[in-house]
Amino acid sequence: MNFLNVALLGGIAALSIPVLIHLFHKSRFKVVKWGAMHLLEAVLRTNQKRIQIEQWILLAVRCAIPAVLALAMARPLWRGSRNLIGDAKTSTVVLLDNSYSMDAGRSGTSSFAIARDETLRLINELRPGSEVHVVLMGEGGRGLLDTPTYDVSRVTQALAKTTAGFGAAQVPGALDFAAGVFDQMHESTRQLIVFTDFQRVSFPATEDALVGRALDRLKKQQVPPAVTFWDVGQDVKENIAIESLDFSRLMIGVGQKMQIRANLRNYGDANHADLHVTLKVDGKDRAASQVALGPRAKAQVLFTQAFDTAGSHVVEVSTEPDVLAADNTFLASVPVRDRVPVLLVDGAPGATLDDIKSETGYLQIALSPFASGKVELSDLIQTRVIPAEALSAKLLAESAVAVIANVRKLTDVQMKALEDFVKNGGGLLVFPGDHTDMAWWNGPFATLAPLPLAGLAGELKEGVQGVGTSGQRFDNPALELFNDPRNGSMTEASIKMWFRMKPAAQSGGPLDPIVLARLDSGDPFLAERPVGQGRVIACATAADADWGNLPARPFYLPLVQRLCVYLASNIYPPRNLEVGQQLVSFLPAASAGKKALITGPDGVNVEVAVTKKGERGVVEYGPIFNPGLYTLTPPGLPPLHYVVNADRKESDLARLNDAELAEFAKVHGVPVVHSASEYRDIERAQRFGRELWKWALFGLLALIFLELLLEQRFARPRGKP
Amino acid sequence: MAHVSDFLTPSDLQRISNLQVFARQVVEGFTTGLHRSPHKGFSVEFKQHRQYVPGDEIRHIDWRVFARSDRYYIREYEEETNLRATLIVDRSGSMEYGGSQPGQVSKFEYATKLAACLSYLMLQQSDGVGLVTFDTEIRRYIPPRSRVSHLQMILNELGSGKPGGETELGKVFHDLVPKLHRRGLLIIISDCFGEVANFLKALAHFRHARHEILVFQIWHPDELNFQFKGWTQFECMERDGVKHLLDPAILRQAYLANLEKFRTELTRGCRRHKVDLVPFTTDEPYAKALAAYLSRRLARG
Repeated sequence: MNFLNVALLGGIAALSIPVLIHLFHKSRFKVVKWGAMHLLEAVLRTNQKRIQIEQWILLAVRCAIPAVLALAMARPLWRGSRNLIGDAKTSTVVLLDNSYSMDAGRSGTSSFAIARDETLRLINELRPGSEVHVVLMGEGGRGLLDTPTYDVSRVTQALAKTTAGFGAAQVPGALDFAAGVFDQMHESTRQLIVFTDFQRVSFPATEDALVGRALDRLKKQQVPPAVTFWDVGQDVKENIAIESLDFSRLMIGVGQKMQIRANLRNYGDANHADLHVTLKVDGKDRAASQVALGPRAKAQVLFTQAFDTAGSHVVEVSTEPDVLAADNTFLASVPVRDRVPVLLVDGAPGATLDDIKSETGYLQIALSPFASGKVELSDLIQTRVIPAEALSAKLLAESAVAVIANVRKLTDVQMKALEDFVKNGGGLLVFPGDHTDMAWWNGPFATLAPLPLAGLAGELKEGVQGVGTSGQRFDNPALELFNDPRNGSMTEASIKMWFRMKPAAQSGGPLDPIVLARLDSGDPFLAERPVGQGRVIACATAADADWGNLPARPFYLPLVQRLCVYLASNIYPPRNLEVGQQLVSFLPAASAGKKALITGPDGVNVEVAVTKKGERGVVEYGPIFNPGLYTLTPPGLPPLHYVVNADRKESDLARLNDAELAEFAKVHGVPVVHSASEYRDIERAQRFGRELWKWALFGLLALIFLELLLEQRFARPRGKP
Repeated sequence: MAHVSDFLTPSDLQRISNLQVFARQVVEGFTTGLHRSPHKGFSVEFKQHRQYVPGDEIRHIDWRVFARSDRYYIREYEEETNLRATLIVDRSGSMEYGGSQPGQVSKFEYATKLAACLSYLMLQQSDGVGLVTFDTEIRRYIPPRSRVSHLQMILNELGSGKPGGETELGKVFHDLVPKLHRRGLLIIISDCFGEVANFLKALAHFRHARHEILVFQIWHPDELNFQFKGWTQFECMERDGVKHLLDPAILRQAYLANLEKFRTELTRGCRRHKVDLVPFTTDEPYAKALAAYLSRRLARG
């Protein structure tokens, strides 16, 4: 308990006034010689004790009146166990939910606008000399400025330019971020105000414990801040969102048709019988469609699109505008290739192109059948055959996929180059053969090999029936094709000899090797392993016909093509980013040292230096929090498009209801306010304690009434006898 | 020497001079007055003859009748008797109360004036008036006389006494009964403080002796209102050293309730013994109150 006007607390001494008056009157008594003493004494005998008690009660009430008045004037504060801080300077962190759901609102005022205005007002009302930091909550927290500042005007200027639409709110992460911010702050009075719309998806029950832990961490800080949640959300339910875009092809070449599937969802109760959905490519309208979307229903819209030119293209699907604009459009960056360079590393010494007898002969034909057949049609995949000893980082840098066929071993330098290639997004397809050195495979190559080799199986004798591949359902995109028997069956193969691959210990993580297909013998046929940003797929048998009839089967061509496309489709660095990710682009080494230009969705151009890393020039920009289209124009090269999309979970605008909010406040022990006046009450209570003067005044009035009542009841005459 | 004018103002005298006091009951007496006597005595007006019975005084035999009839007859007369009234004035300590403000009339002063009024009135009518003053015991007894000069003696006694001592009505009245040989009117002028039961018992004793009793109960307004303010020390006027310091405002309700109870008991007791209890307060003109009472008395016959 503290007092704002401590000096007035001395007024409590006034409680002695009634006592003094009592004593004064008692000492200044008059004397009456009284005749009717027998009447008086009878009264005294029966009433003296009761009267004494009543008088003590009355005196106590009278003493309490000036004491309570003095108490009220001293403005008492109830602060619980908090230290005395008074009207001190504060370190204030405002956690501002700038997720795109905050853009929703009624009558033209978005929740974010309300939150931003309240934040501005709050910051402007801080005591001079206070330290402030605004943390934007989208994607786990990001400071509006780099560091907390005492210069309030800097914050307000930056805040005035801030908009919502920055991905999805991640409350626990943002709270943790805020806890880190407090470590850099200096004032001993700390407060954290969280402006959010309490969207149900941002406060799922599953994350309640995380929020609780984050709040606990805040409370356990050396100087714990006073945490207040400010609900700025508005009940807006109608919203249509384009949740995602799916593409039918792993990779698209010039002139190839691709199906683009837009997934729409209606989060509201309204029925949209004819919802217009449009497709734009590179900003130009290409197609439009209508779809019926019932209340709380999902729908898909399919567009077919072919690209005339190679290079970076932007696909944009949009629907009719509604209260939340951010999710009415979904962008995707589609790199259209005119070729996929595949480097075939042949284990046979002196291997050359078009050598059918080489280790990679069948692969060449299967991967680029038109070129092999001297037909005037272009292959998407363009192959280049080199002997193993010619493998270099430079050649790898010019390729999307490397295929190693029956290579005995590679040098350490080559291994290093190959590892870098794969880790930076390259694809590697490995076929063993009779040259393969198991010791090398299980040794230096183990960093890339999906599974270690256990030894050879099968025999090549005439008349021996080979094993086929087991009929199974494939989940891998490269093999999904074979789930439909019309596209050929992998069970037709007859493999006479193969390497048994040892099953690897599974850690349960995303980097575990996966067996994509098995032989009838149960041994793995194809195994995949993610390495860095790239992937490695190993086959258990040879790529040529030495160990079986694989190249002679109809499925061989689509199999190796899809494997290569699959490995090459891993566009790295990715062009379609999520909010909070970094934009990275690999450029030719010649670009290093020059400036690349990045144009953001707001039209602002930023120059970014191209740095040299290994054999590449690299552009790094971000992390990016503002969703939209970013165009990177490298020096002397055509522009590349990068798209940053926000997590569409924010499209569901359902909010926690009042009961859930009350429960949230109760469980986490934090106040939830809905208006500035509510906040001021809480803030006063948190910063200074809860002012009790109103209660003291009520108490004073009650005491005065009580005194009157008691006086009437105990003493005062009521009419003449 | 006290004089009647010390107690009665001329206007008081004028107010009561026209009133005739009629005793409710006929009292025996010797002096001719306005009161009918139940006794057939030997005064002026002849009433009847009756036959002599042994024991009658021989001197009352009508010798003329004896001469004519040779029988003894007693000659009887109807006499007009006067009222024998005894004023019993309380001069205990409590009667001295004259209010908390100076210059107010004390209950005793009021009582003496009342007694003087009555004495004068009755002597004017040739009624006999006696006086008894008492506190814890009988202080003075003046037997009833109807001589006008008797007034002076009464007034002297009323003027000389000073109140003091405790009120013991019961004991005093019991002691008084043997002194009052003849039936008559007893006018008790007192505040009647003390045990109600004892007082009523004494009244019953008087009634047993066939006295008619009037009680003039003298109150001071303070005693009825108890409107004291501020802390007050009440010191007993009858017992030395008895005092109580208290806030009278707090006790007023209870005091008034107790007062009411006391008065009710007293009124009921008096009614039971056919005693008229007439309260006076010292702030009301006593002569007016007296006149009002006498009128009522007259009306009752």
